Amino acid sequence: MTAALATRPHRSLFERYRQALWLLTKRDLRVRYSTSLLGYFWSILDPLVMAAIYWFVFTQVFDRTVGEQPYIVFLLTALLPWMWFNGAVADSTRAFLREAKLIRSTKIPRTIWVNRLVLSKGIEFVASLPVIAAFAIATGAQLHWEAFWVLLGIALQAVLLVGIGLIVAPLVVFFRDLERAVKLMLRFLFYASPIIYGLSDLPDGLHFWAAFNPLAGIFSLYRAAFFPEQLDWYAIGVGSVVSLAFLAIGLVVFSRVERAVLKEI
Amino acid sequence: MTLTEKLEARIGHPVIEVTDAGIRFRRNRRSRRSFKDLFAGRSRRGRPDEFWPLRGVSFSVLPGEAIGVVGRNGQGKSTLLKLVAEVILPDEGVVRVGAGVAPLIEITGGFVDDLSVRDNVFLTAGLHGMKKSEIEERFDEIIEFAEIGDFLDTPYKHLSSGMRVRIAFAVISRLEEPVILVDEVLAVGDKAFREKCYRRIEELLAGGRTLFFVSHNERDLKRFCTRGLYLDKGALVLDAPIQDVLARYNADYGVKS
Repeated sequence: MTAALATRPHRSLFERYRQALWLLTKRDLRVRYSTSLLGYFWSILDPLVMAAIYWFVFTQVFDRTVGEQPYIVFLLTALLPWMWFNGAVADSTRAFLREAKLIRSTKIPRTIWVNRLVLSKGIEFVASLPVIAAFAIATGAQLHWEAFWVLLGIALQAVLLVGIGLIVAPLVVFFRDLERAVKLMLRFLFYASPIIYGLSDLPDGLHFWAAFNPLAGIFSLYRAAFFPEQLDWYAIGVGSVVSLAFLAIGLVVFSRVERAVLKEI
Repeated sequence: MTLTEKLEARIGHPVIEVTDAGIRFRRNRRSRRSFKDLFAGRSRRGRPDEFWPLRGVSFSVLPGEAIGVVGRNGQGKSTLLKLVAEVILPDEGVVRVGAGVAPLIEITGGFVDDLSVRDNVFLTAGLHGMKKSEIEERFDEIIEFAEIGDFLDTPYKHLSSGMRVRIAFAVISRLEEPVILVDEVLAVGDKAFREKCYRRIEELLAGGRTLFFVSHNERDLKRFCTRGLYLDKGALVLDAPIQDVLARYNADYGVKS
């Protein structure tokens, strides 16, 4: 072993950020999949069961007047991104509390604790896309060139999730009640977002307001892959502005409370 | 300016500069902050139940210095170390650390119970900024130092507490960062391993590292450190050679030397 002062070459901040983010994301995925036998299967089972329930209720029990044919594809194109949204927001309530020991001993930029959740849940979402493909083939749904917009949808959703995470994660440290409030909000948001219905199914007066839920525009981008008429540029425009606003507010809140969070955990 | 010029300019410049640093904690941890506080200006945020574990602390450290931090319990020693490690941020003043830091503080904190020892080594070293190839190069050395070769694929949670500290120390002390911070982490391991750790710290010192050492053990302080910082009641009382600092500490608190 050498006694000389052999310091490692200095690496750029960006490179270190990227490395730490990727390490923690991989760790999340590895912990989740190494501790359960069915691994990947579990992450798609949840949306599949939910899709099966809604498909049964709306196509077998009621006369369905919402959404488009084939309904199961219509449902899954919003339900899978919803799982990403729901998982990332729910987990961000524990982003600092669960990792307190690690945060106290390393000085990596603190935004990583939020971003790694968005990334690992996002990877699970992308990994679940073959499920949609399978159902599309089985039901003969037509893929259109608008599938290209999925990329914009993913980008917008990532911006929105990072913004929400940066607000929720540090505030939960001070207001533990927020954890329950967030769960409640998520349940409400599930029905307030065009998942089991389409944006065009809403009564005229509501359409204007529904667009302020950024998920409305984002889900319409995903759905355009199979249902181009779902593309709603008004909702996408308003949704983009709201998403960016969340990110801006998130960055401000996070930088304001960061030092207090470090003392508290 | 070329890289060598930059490096030359840095020699003789402080590697750690703490200027008028202070940090504030709340005495009553249960008192909640209000949303209003978030957006109120810094000056309007004063609270009656606050106290300052450290305030108005200034000093600078040159590369290669070995500094012992002395003081009674609760006088801000660990807080100072955490400030230098930049895992907490000062409310007042500036803490500037111009080089990478290997913090031997809460060293087992980064380890994940469900992952194997091997995965944990790569995770922790990676989080402290080491590249995969660098870790692979040092992997055998780390395992050998920790004397843990038979447990490479054992989940971390199944290790004994002594083993946990050993593997954690082995990883962090192998980071090759120019600054090392040592809190009283080594109280756990057995005597033989503690001696091994101390020899490792001496090697690092001989290699030109800067050391920041918190301990109550006078012999250890004298063994490693040349300069001492004496903290009392949240302030830096004395910054002098370690013998002087220890003498003053003993005089203040009546411990015979």
